[in-house]
Amino acid sequence: MKYRYIFYSVIILALLNACKPTIEEFAPASGNADFSRYIAVGNSLTAGYADGALYKSGQEYSLPNILAGQFKSVGGGDFKQPLMVDDNGVGFRGITPVTKLVLGYTEDCKGVISLGPVLASDQIDPANLASVADQGPFNNIGVPGIKAIHMAVPGYGTLNPYYGRFMSLPTSAVIDEIAPVNATFFTLWLGNNDILDFALAGGEGEIITPISLFEQAYMATLNILLANGAKGVVANLPDPLNTAFFNTVPYNALVIQEQGDAAVLNAAYAPLNQIIIGAGSTDTIYFSVGPNPLVIVDASLPWGLRQIKSDEKILLSIPQDSIKCSGWGSQVPVPASFVLDQNEITEINTAITDYNTKIFEIAVDQSVGFVNINKVLKEATENGYVFDGIEFDTEFVKGNIFSLDGIHKTPAGNAVIANFFIEAINLQFNANIPLTVIADYPAVQFPTD
Amino acid sequence: MKKLIVTIVTLTLLSWSAFGGGYQVRLQGQKQTGIGLIGTPFTYGASSIFYNPGALALVPEKFSFSAGVSGIMGKAVFQKSATDYQAYTDSPMGTPFYAYGSWKINNSFAVGLGAYTPFGNSVVWNDDWAGRYLIQNISLSAIFIQPTISYQVKDKFGIGAGFVYAIGNVEINKALYYNTNSDVSLKGSGSNIGFNIGVFYRPVEGVNIGIDYRSKIIMKVEDGDANFNIPSSLATTIPPENKFSAELPLPANLDFGVSIDITEKWLIAFEINWVFWGVYDSLIFTFEESGDLLDSSNPRIYKNSVLPRIGAEFNLNEMFSFRAGAYYDPTPTNEQYFTPETVSLNTVGLTLGVSIVPVKGLSIDLSYLQLFGMEADKSYDPANFSGTYKTVTFIPGIGLSYNF
Repeated sequence: MKYRYIFYSVIILALLNACKPTIEEFAPASGNADFSRYIAVGNSLTAGYADGALYKSGQEYSLPNILAGQFKSVGGGDFKQPLMVDDNGVGFRGITPVTKLVLGYTEDCKGVISLGPVLASDQIDPANLASVADQGPFNNIGVPGIKAIHMAVPGYGTLNPYYGRFMSLPTSAVIDEIAPVNATFFTLWLGNNDILDFALAGGEGEIITPISLFEQAYMATLNILLANGAKGVVANLPDPLNTAFFNTVPYNALVIQEQGDAAVLNAAYAPLNQIIIGAGSTDTIYFSVGPNPLVIVDASLPWGLRQIKSDEKILLSIPQDSIKCSGWGSQVPVPASFVLDQNEITEINTAITDYNTKIFEIAVDQSVGFVNINKVLKEATENGYVFDGIEFDTEFVKGNIFSLDGIHKTPAGNAVIANFFIEAINLQFNANIPLTVIADYPAVQFPTD
Repeated sequence: MKKLIVTIVTLTLLSWSAFGGGYQVRLQGQKQTGIGLIGTPFTYGASSIFYNPGALALVPEKFSFSAGVSGIMGKAVFQKSATDYQAYTDSPMGTPFYAYGSWKINNSFAVGLGAYTPFGNSVVWNDDWAGRYLIQNISLSAIFIQPTISYQVKDKFGIGAGFVYAIGNVEINKALYYNTNSDVSLKGSGSNIGFNIGVFYRPVEGVNIGIDYRSKIIMKVEDGDANFNIPSSLATTIPPENKFSAELPLPANLDFGVSIDITEKWLIAFEINWVFWGVYDSLIFTFEESGDLLDSSNPRIYKNSVLPRIGAEFNLNEMFSFRAGAYYDPTPTNEQYFTPETVSLNTVGLTLGVSIVPVKGLSIDLSYLQLFGMEADKSYDPANFSGTYKTVTFIPGIGLSYNF
């Protein structure tokens, strides 16, 4: 009797099993790298900065934290980050601390209400800037705002509060935070701000770090990472001119509705145009109904202004109300700090090429892996990507890559980049680390009220 | 008998799991299901209304009734490319059914009426699965109603034709990427007409040949309900309540089958089905409002498929007969346009059947069908969503037929 029950049970089990198909599972492998102690070194792109601020959930979606999650299947250990205390976080406008940006409703100077980035709150929680150094050492050594040449500056935390939060000693430099982690694997993505700060300032009052100083500082950091035989990858620098920050406000953002308005402006500029023509230039200023190139300051011209060219850039930081209501770009030339002109663009392009050439040489020299993020962002700009049915390109808000500051990535943007890192790591170290599922990461969230 | 048919019809859920062969479901007779889903060369009874109207007039008895239902229980597994992500479908049991009645008016003519469900698909992935921006769940069903007339000459040759009126329902849910909880639900129904014609030939006693052609039917959904669950800040761009139209082709079939009585007790049969899936080129949605933003054309690029079938029947005595069969159902789907809404793989089907005749004329028919969708790497390129799929399905079925 008993045997009969066993017999039936076996048959039922066999049937149930037969109805559940199985596929061989993914076989993770660490290859010839050791992921047990991972350190990530870099700037805001490593820290998890997004939406114009460093905040807790942004850090949890940081590039290295996503990577560390994937490393877990190949022996990766805990990944400790200097987390902020809340989701409003802290960003800076000049020296004024502000919260992160969220998508919300704004009313412009003409009373038109539209969706756009607004501060999540008018108050920051100062606890975000309190020191968490006693919780260290941290695996995420990403410091928003840092340039390569700042890495070895003792007491840098007094200049940069993001580092100040987790600086071990008052005299520590960021590179001093590396050794205590005793890392077996690293990612290094450094140098962006050495060029980006110049671009963000519209090329005014900032300089691009000379390549020789960059190389020196970069090597100093990399040597510390390599000192104990750790393996790792370095990423090159995405061209900042491919970010949404420099491609959202169009060069011809001055929209004239009425023929009369254009005529008034043309009449006002007639005397100046005489001078321009008299000087042998064809660069006269002219307006018509529809979108018009903005008038910008150009100190290289004797008369100090001209209309912007289609291949020059207006920065996302420009106060757009000033264009709509204060005559910016028409009666008042746009200040140079909101414009990248052709010379500045050339300077940035040259620096990106030089830096990236150098980073690639170093990667080959030092036998570290190499992630071509510049190529990824270029591809995103030119053709876009699709993952899991989600479209990615570099458009502001809708493109899903850039967060509301137009430079730093959304969680999904970080996940896309993480997968390119993983592909490079797998290639370099003969590893088999699983890619992350892009569909599981959010991008810019639309307000529900 | 009538009451039973009505009960089965009303209890039926009208949805079922995908199992090979696109979204076609050939479970329109339990005897035929047991013998490898071969149908054209048989004169089992009123079920010939579906399998071959040409054979209907050669059914010996004056009246024939037949009804049955199957339970499709299946699972698909998905292993996402280059990740450690796996997902299983959690599809409800599908229950395709059939009910037929036929009347032999005289020695030449027979008429009949049938209702059956030859197409359907029900796939439920978890709402938060990795492919949620392609599909979360889909339910598709169609009922065909077919009045039929059949004419025979000298118990050797028969032709028949049926007019088909098809009604169908579809419901699709998928997530949208606007916010973490955004999604869209599309619900609609449609109807259309088609035909079913067949020829039956018995060159010598013991050998039967059948050919059947069932026309394609384009199910047109018009004025379907589209409900967008999206953040209110987008409501001005995308109306939450919208209407849509779409077309789903139900492909034509050409079946050719032969059965041979080898001995008094043994019969073997072969059949080939050509399924003209090539008609399914893309799934196009057109919306009443915000069409420029929402309208979409989604490539499917199916190809025609050819299915070989083999089966055998053993008649033990007047009370018991047994059947077995096997077939191969190559997927009509396209490598690059394979979507998880229809997990149709190259499939091997194995069938078993038994009929019990407690009293003369009444037959209780049981069938069992086990399907193995063979593991394959597939991709839906427009969404860059790829991975390995595999399916297993088992389908028990029960039916009654009464010929007198």
